[in-house]
Amino acid sequence: MCCLRLSLLILFCGTQWLFSQAPTEVVLDSTEVENLNEVIISATRTKRQLSSVPLPTQLISAKAIAAANSIRLNDILEEQTGLLMVPDYGGVEGLQMQGLDNQYNLILIDGVPLIGRSAGTLDLSRVTVGNIKQIEIVKGPSSSLYGNEALAGVVNILTQTPKTGFGGCFYYRGGSFSSNDLSTELSYKKDKLGLHAFVNRFSNEGYDLVDSDDVNTVEPFHNYTFNTKINYEFSEKVKLFVSGRLYHQVQDNVASASYDGESQIDEWNFHSKLELKFNESWDSQLEFYATTYKAEEFLNDTAGNLFSYSDFKQRFLRPEFRTVLKPNAQNSFIAGVGMQFESLQRTDFFGYPKFNSSYLYSQYEYTKNDEFNLILGLRFDRHNEYTSQLSPKAAARYKFNDKLAVKGSVSYGFKTPDFRQLYFDFTNATVGYTVLGYNAVTTLIPELEANGDIASLFVPLSVFEDNLKPECSIGYNFGIDLGIDPKLKINLNLFRNEISNLIDTRVIARKTNGQNVFSYYNVNEIYTQGLEFNASLKFNKNTVLTTGYQLLYAKDKKAVQAFKNGEVFARLTPTSPAFVLSKKDYFGLLNRSRHMLNFKLSYHMQKWNLDSNIRATYRSEFGLYDNNGNGYLDAYDNFVSGYSILDFAINKTIFEHYKLGFGMDNFLDFNDPQNISNIAGRIVYGNVTINF
Amino acid sequence: MKSSYQYKILIFLFVFAFTSCNDDDGTPLPAEQYLQITNLHAPMTGGQGQEPSSGSYTKFDFATASVTTSETDWDIAFRATTIIVNGGSSTGDADEPERNGNAAAYIKSLPFSEVTSVVVSDFTQDSLEEGLAIPTGSGNGWYTYTGPPEHLILPIPGKTLVIRTRDFKYAKVEILSYYRDLDDSVAGNARYYTFNYLYNANENETTF
Repeated sequence: MCCLRLSLLILFCGTQWLFSQAPTEVVLDSTEVENLNEVIISATRTKRQLSSVPLPTQLISAKAIAAANSIRLNDILEEQTGLLMVPDYGGVEGLQMQGLDNQYNLILIDGVPLIGRSAGTLDLSRVTVGNIKQIEIVKGPSSSLYGNEALAGVVNILTQTPKTGFGGCFYYRGGSFSSNDLSTELSYKKDKLGLHAFVNRFSNEGYDLVDSDDVNTVEPFHNYTFNTKINYEFSEKVKLFVSGRLYHQVQDNVASASYDGESQIDEWNFHSKLELKFNESWDSQLEFYATTYKAEEFLNDTAGNLFSYSDFKQRFLRPEFRTVLKPNAQNSFIAGVGMQFESLQRTDFFGYPKFNSSYLYSQYEYTKNDEFNLILGLRFDRHNEYTSQLSPKAAARYKFNDKLAVKGSVSYGFKTPDFRQLYFDFTNATVGYTVLGYNAVTTLIPELEANGDIASLFVPLSVFEDNLKPECSIGYNFGIDLGIDPKLKINLNLFRNEISNLIDTRVIARKTNGQNVFSYYNVNEIYTQGLEFNASLKFNKNTVLTTGYQLLYAKDKKAVQAFKNGEVFARLTPTSPAFVLSKKDYFGLLNRSRHMLNFKLSYHMQKWNLDSNIRATYRSEFGLYDNNGNGYLDAYDNFVSGYSILDFAINKTIFEHYKLGFGMDNFLDFNDPQNISNIAGRIVYGNVTINF
Repeated sequence: MKSSYQYKILIFLFVFAFTSCNDDDGTPLPAEQYLQITNLHAPMTGGQGQEPSSGSYTKFDFATASVTTSETDWDIAFRATTIIVNGGSSTGDADEPERNGNAAAYIKSLPFSEVTSVVVSDFTQDSLEEGLAIPTGSGNGWYTYTGPPEHLILPIPGKTLVIRTRDFKYAKVEILSYYRDLDDSVAGNARYYTFNYLYNANENETTF
């Protein structure tokens, strides 16, 4: 059905392209003009010139995405300085930013959050880049504007908007592992009405990097993304925006030679916004967002009988009203109020939990002649399940001259305990241990006791009467922008995030089967700190080199103390005597690399209208688990060696409207399936783009 | 490497110290036994699925340096990752041997060689209320469990089990491995203990 609809669409736009006489927009292909006009929305929730924002930000343009021939969000993010895609359970990969895990990043599409962390991880390969206009990354806590989850940073994906006239684009990329990515985009805008439609199909026959087992590294899958947008201007002062997005994925689900089935993801979101412009200095927006994420999977045995089934259904609804007041050029105020309703139904859950919250935020901004900029923000979140949160932020930037500017910010971020940490009710069928959500403990432990399943209780139930606290962080960022020469731009940022109340599991009781009952509690305090460096050097009109580096220390404070106290020991061989480790032997948290480096060299050959680039990312050694039993990652553990990924891409434009591309991702064919399951090895591809 | 070198010196001094001590006493046989036990098998049935864990414990006697089936002449006993002592009361666990001795234990967070004396007030015995003298669970007692994907049980370096035997003699134990022939690459090798111990056969002598 979907296929039929898709081919009709392609046929339709194909004919449209043949007969379309609409004039195409003239695009200014000058980097300088572009730099001046680069605008970021996510940092302040108003349109701001990127260079003047007092926060550490990164911008990825549609042009940069096209130059890299990326197809999914994870492809392009992992090439950015300080960002890392980390494989997680269930074959998904999450984003690590400033050394913090994916649970602490907020991912937005057009300013509203993406949901569906079924195993805790938000899978970014779910998002196609086919209809992306710009990706904005704001690092450091941003809860003062965005509330929950904006602890390490925010990634906002802005999708394409209707352009004047009728136009469209057809894109196909085929590559290794029988991967096929097909997108079609149609845009119409005349007078008051703007329409935009996008459809994408992505499929992959999967691949297997480990021969010794019965499962593939990635099982075959296919997915569809549909996105439609309508803009309507009732008048100069009243504008309406409505967007609908659908995502559907089916993937083989194989557990072993004797159990296989299927997994399916269905997601939809509805997003509407009414913009009211009262006068030149005052406008307001009324926004409504609703989304549902549903994941189902089953396994059958060889006889075709159902062996296991699980589902996960999350709903999210959010009305918000915000208003922007700009009495003069120096001062601007933004304020917002909203409510959030969230619910989750899933297997192994205690009840049908619902989260309701309401919030209020405001931000004041002072700007003086592009020289000095100050932001003060505050947000209050009230929630039915956890303690209220007050999230402040202060940021400032001062420009000494055209060559030097400094900026700094201090801000607060938080992440509420998720549904799993509060309502999980899971007993492992083969081993027999149990995991209970914090709020489920006081009801379910007495039930287990009544059944005679509990041998002894280690943590009294009274402990669970107080709420589990949200994880929270204070982030400090200090940056310097250097424009030594119009051709050389350097940007340096020092960061430190102090996170407390980190949630972990602990044993709360022992069962009569000898296994444990686990639950969640606030325990850890960690910090991540380091330095980020970005530079771009323009050799001439056609050759640009950009490079980035991140130095990172991510450590647990208790662990640092334990090493300092001489309480941690190691052995060189299993039978050699134990010796005490010193503070410098402590490496830090798992799966963090001390150094990350990237290079990109782009070259434009004018004569042939050819764009080519070579890109490299390097990640230094990291540890995946403690090998020597002391519970910490130290210098005597086994580390996964550092590695580099090199890509190249060539795109040639023919007759303005056509583009042909060829490239190889990871052309050195690096892979390490045991430790880094999300790196597939060399991918060779070709693509074609037709604009009309 | 530097640490390991320092360590060798430490061991040397330690061995030297107590050999000379014996010379001074003029005793013909050392009262202290320093031994390594390899591949002590500690099987368990059940514990998988909803079944309570069961199966008899593998009992060990320090005086004879051997595994025993005696109902009385044992000091500590092993079943999978659980270690119980012959002292205290039943923890309600199925197939536990009857505790009829005065054994007790505690865990000292120091390398084996640095535990040179016993703190008598630190000893605890097994009981239903207080749990085991040698606690179970990752990071609580003598091991850490690595979790997925490796699922290994690794002895924590620098944790020394200090044991009072059933008859008021003292021993210290360092567990080196939970896997047969120290090979943890195969899950089926689990539940085979290798450990070093030093046993002082002189009653109530609290130094090693």
